[in-house]
Amino acid sequence: MRGLLQLLFGARMVRANRGECRNERILAMNDRPAELAAPPGVAVRTLRVLGTSVTLLPEVRASAEADLGIRIDYQLMDFLSCQREAAMVPGSYDVYEQCFHNLDIVWFWGALQPIDTHRIGDWDRLSPLAKEGGISNYAWRGHGDAPVGKLYVQPGGFLGPKPSRQVSMLPTVHNMDSFGYDPRVFGSGEDGQVSWAWLLDRRAKGRIALVDEPAIGFFDAALAAEAAGEVQFANIGNMTIAEIDRLMALLEERRRQGYFCAAWRDGEEAARLLHAERVSVQSMWAPVYGNLGAMEGHFSEAAPKEGYRAWHGGASLSRHLSGGQLDMVYDYLNWWLTADAGAVMARQGYYMSTPERTRAALSSDEWGYWYDGLPARGDICGPSGKVVARAGALRAGGTYLERTSRIAVWNTVMEEYNYAARAWGRFIRRINEAAT
Amino acid sequence: MIRSANPLALEPRYELITQVLRSNILGGQLPVGLVLLEGPIGALMGTSRAPVQAALRQLQIEGLIHRFEGRGFLVGPEGAGAEPLRHDIRDLDLTIADHVDGALQTRGTWKHVYDQVEEQVASCQIFGEFRIVETELAQYLGVSRTVVRDVLSRLQERGLIRKNASSHWIAGPLTARTMREKFELRAIVEPAALRLSAPHIEEAVIEAIRDRIETDASLSWQALEDALMEHCIAKAENATLVEMIRNNRLLLSSVDRALTGLGLPPDDIALDQYRMLFHLIARHPIDSAAEYLRGHLQIMARKNLARMKIAGVLSEMRDFAPYLIHQ
Repeated sequence: MRGLLQLLFGARMVRANRGECRNERILAMNDRPAELAAPPGVAVRTLRVLGTSVTLLPEVRASAEADLGIRIDYQLMDFLSCQREAAMVPGSYDVYEQCFHNLDIVWFWGALQPIDTHRIGDWDRLSPLAKEGGISNYAWRGHGDAPVGKLYVQPGGFLGPKPSRQVSMLPTVHNMDSFGYDPRVFGSGEDGQVSWAWLLDRRAKGRIALVDEPAIGFFDAALAAEAAGEVQFANIGNMTIAEIDRLMALLEERRRQGYFCAAWRDGEEAARLLHAERVSVQSMWAPVYGNLGAMEGHFSEAAPKEGYRAWHGGASLSRHLSGGQLDMVYDYLNWWLTADAGAVMARQGYYMSTPERTRAALSSDEWGYWYDGLPARGDICGPSGKVVARAGALRAGGTYLERTSRIAVWNTVMEEYNYAARAWGRFIRRINEAAT
Repeated sequence: MIRSANPLALEPRYELITQVLRSNILGGQLPVGLVLLEGPIGALMGTSRAPVQAALRQLQIEGLIHRFEGRGFLVGPEGAGAEPLRHDIRDLDLTIADHVDGALQTRGTWKHVYDQVEEQVASCQIFGEFRIVETELAQYLGVSRTVVRDVLSRLQERGLIRKNASSHWIAGPLTARTMREKFELRAIVEPAALRLSAPHIEEAVIEAIRDRIETDASLSWQALEDALMEHCIAKAENATLVEMIRNNRLLLSSVDRALTGLGLPPDDIALDQYRMLFHLIARHPIDSAAEYLRGHLQIMARKNLARMKIAGVLSEMRDFAPYLIHQ
């Protein structure tokens, strides 16, 4: 079938050798099959995907369009707008690509329908991280919104960890995030004492930036505050009002003392701060390490002793889907678990829920660098073909298993999310006002 | 407390509105097919929309009106095939019994404006903390500062506002903790009240409600929650308990209205739970219904905690009444 589709559309580019940075492949992938000749009289079916910059990448779209013979329309939004749109306008998309931690609003707003795992061919191959709550029995589970707690549909329409045939979201891409730091300020970190406390460290005063997202950057700040011994949380993944107040009071005090230089909302903004050499330590997302500009060689990924802040993405079904449209969406979900999708994700530093599939589309050097924590033998390229790690580079934190075993907290939308998000919003506004 | 000479003045406002509409439907002044809208009825009765909404739900339960594809309700039972008739209800010559009219008029000046303010003050709270400016409120309502103080002290009595250290009136924020506590309280006291009310529940009323559930697909779970309150729980012979239940529900119902206003779709699972609940009330010892109600309220608590999070992704630049200052 796939061969037939490729023949029909004539659009499938000749694949470059796995793992090589070949620009012609990248160029070809940015073409869109719908603009190429479909057989006369055959309408190309369209799939509408609502999501964030984490997964809505031109390389993913081109690959899926070519493999499935469909057209894919992207509706790309920031995290908050994306949730709002997903909840309020379920008719505007077919697939919702987001994260487990912010599934509550959209699910309990009744905007999604369950996924039947019997229609997911690779369900049994999926990593236990999402399905069981940890990569091994000895791995840290992590506080907050662990994906397993939002995965399975329970009686009464609830979501929970007890396995059932129906799930809320198909687990796909994920990562263990931390922060980046300048070794000239903090030292090489080789003593294993790299700590979240550095995000509030006097040595970086005036050169600290946080990601502005109340389910993400908020926890970078919380981990920093607890690591620095300034605030203690009974459960960092579900804070009380008093704990939120204490954290925000600390952050506000540090802000007044001039600790923070900026807050950013996406990888581009984070990269600009690095290019302008304005930060010594900041929240980081994996792809930004391939875009350090002037800070290249002077900005390291932290493997904090307290553990990581993890997140897990996935894809959900809009409630309006049925019949042929639903079948097409299941094809697309199954496609997400194939080697090609996993390879695009790996090249920007993200892991996939079906790593053994991903491995098939990566060169052994790529697999060694991204998943096995081995030094790169040659230059490593990102999804667009740009070199993101030089030969000899080593990914911080070690292997997939090692990194996944040290999850301190997940990105989380706590019960007191509204309260925390408002307080966070006020704090960020003051940082931005001071910066302008 | 000064009691009015007119006993009806003490009845909840929505009951008075229900009485007026019911008698005019039965008397034919409100013809079959007439579209009933909350706004014009509120204007006619001099009330906010909340009690009108409650009255319309009650009439829907009684089968006197039904939902249709458009906004509002149509007079007459569902399936009568009546075409929607659009007239302003204020142009129709409604019969309002003197004693009801008197009750609507003699509730005290502050009561005329109270419902509206209560709704605005309650529904803003999921969006954060607000300060109420007395002078702005007086101007907004076109009433004196004395009336405003009556309104505010009533809001305070009902637990909707408080004074802060600098003596400003503060509403909200509605936190998850408050929400959870209110539902916990409901799950304790409402099943208890339901048990107490059992001897006073009228079998025919329950059967009528069950019949409506099976025949009127447009019935909402909120209508059934109101019906449970009025026809069962409120019949408990313990006025303190019933009043406590009503007050405890105020914020929760206004959150529900706020979320519905934001487009929260109908909750079919909740509807199904009310179907079961009325079945248990009708056919089984009251303990089974009371226990089921407790479980239902726990489920609603969890759902509402999740749904409330929508406020975190909505812009804070929403329209609030001018006397409410976002802190």
